Amino acid sequence: MRVGLIASTAGHLAVLLWGVISFPDAKPFDIGPVDTLPVDLVPVSELTRLRIGEKTAEVREVEATRPTEKPVEEPKAEEKPAQTEAKRPNQAVPEPTPAPAPEPTPAPERPTPEPPAPQPEPPAPQPEPPAPRAEPEPAPAPTPEPEKKVAETPPPPTVRPRSKPTPPPQPRREQPRENFNPNEIAALLNKVEPAGGSSSNSTQPASLGSRLGQSGVTMSQSEIDALRGQISRCWNPPAGAAGAGDLTVKLKFSLTIGGEIDSEPSVINSSSNPTFGIAAESARRAVLRCAPYSLPAAKYDAWRDVEIEFDPRELLGG
Amino acid sequence: MNPVELAQTTLAAPQGDMSFFALFLQAHLVVKLVMLGLVLASIWCWAIIVDKWLLFTRTKRQMNRFETVFWSGQSLEELYRTLSGRANHSMAALFIAAMREWKRSHEGARPAIASLRQRIDRVMDVTIAREAERLEARLLVLATVGSAAPFIGLFGTVWGIMTSFQAIAASKNTNLAVVAPGIAEALLATALGLLAAIPAVIAYNKLSADAGKLSARMEGFADEFSAILSRQIDERS
Repeated sequence: MRVGLIASTAGHLAVLLWGVISFPDAKPFDIGPVDTLPVDLVPVSELTRLRIGEKTAEVREVEATRPTEKPVEEPKAEEKPAQTEAKRPNQAVPEPTPAPAPEPTPAPERPTPEPPAPQPEPPAPQPEPPAPRAEPEPAPAPTPEPEKKVAETPPPPTVRPRSKPTPPPQPRREQPRENFNPNEIAALLNKVEPAGGSSSNSTQPASLGSRLGQSGVTMSQSEIDALRGQISRCWNPPAGAAGAGDLTVKLKFSLTIGGEIDSEPSVINSSSNPTFGIAAESARRAVLRCAPYSLPAAKYDAWRDVEIEFDPRELLGG
Repeated sequence: MNPVELAQTTLAAPQGDMSFFALFLQAHLVVKLVMLGLVLASIWCWAIIVDKWLLFTRTKRQMNRFETVFWSGQSLEELYRTLSGRANHSMAALFIAAMREWKRSHEGARPAIASLRQRIDRVMDVTIAREAERLEARLLVLATVGSAAPFIGLFGTVWGIMTSFQAIAASKNTNLAVVAPGIAEALLATALGLLAAIPAVIAYNKLSADAGKLSARMEGFADEFSAILSRQIDERS
């Protein structure tokens, strides 16, 4: 046994010695020089100031507005064939060549139950198609066209029966067939869903912004907090009320530009907590008691109607 | 001082003393005890391993030598006379025990031969048990260290990590430089535990297999020898 013990101790000492010699210190990692990063502080309100638009729209360049006198007519001439072609397959009858002239106005009315009006007209405009072309629709050209496509799809069932008995359409039809371009089938198909009521008056895609479009006026976070602070100073939450968690009271009220209460604050939420009524009443009292609030008058639009939440936990804690 | 230099000096500061001894010295007392215990266990394990290894090789050599002498056709009486003078182990001890019983039974006026074979078997069984015990002594220490040392090391590690988290709480600083030394010293305990356990487990498996082989060889010899003796007994009676 002694031999083993001596050998073992000697071996351990040797290993320890070797460890001390060959692993004296941990090697530090090499750290490359770190570049400094420029940091800009941006107020939140800059990001939250939203304009009307679609939240999902892309950010894109918008062309500056141009005078719309001459250029309007040229696109009309180009679009006309497409327009008439689009019409033919849908509504066989009413449009002879004059189509462009009467259309802009009757188009939206077509679904309404007085189609006879356009019907008698066709014979008259027929002889003089070239004249009305230039005259009657100078300005509205680009805007009404998408409208028509939208409005025309629903009527076909109502219009067709009326149109069929009349013979004139037949010769009419042949003409467009010559013009029919199979490559443009896609253009003939109407992919727009029928929209009720009037359509938007812009053909441009929606811009990025909020749907409500608060006309560019927003309260910054600090101003909202200022109002909150002014109200909470006057608020005595029901101390010791059981289950302070359910006692969040939401009040809605409107203010005059001078900061006075315009409409009586109303509670817009509810809770099963028996003390909720007391809490709501205390919140209402707080709003009324601190009545003249000092808020930036320039942003009156943003704080005319206020919805504010009273959370006892926040106020008790802070 | 520019930020780069600052970063480098703060990072360089704690790595000054991360050697084994420094890690050991700055460890908590409990961790120190754990480490010391593990080092002692490792020393003890290796002592047993060396000792057993020497014993087994010696025993194997003795067995070989005895078997060549035994099967050389030499008279058993003579062999008994030469061997009985010294301290014997393994097969020689078996042979001496059986021969002593044989001789004792034939001494005197009335030889007790009737149950001599059973007595010889009994004597040889006892000798085999004694020899096997000698071979396997302290092997259990290896098994114990092999299974317990990792846990002991883990205990040291947990304790060290606990103290280093307490250090974080006390200094209110979660910088890695605050935690790293504590965790490094804690991990040293696990490393020592594994260092003690791995050789112990391997050696235990190897040595216990060897001991089993040796005692099986002794049993085989005992059977053969008892067959020879019983033939002698039957011939004489």
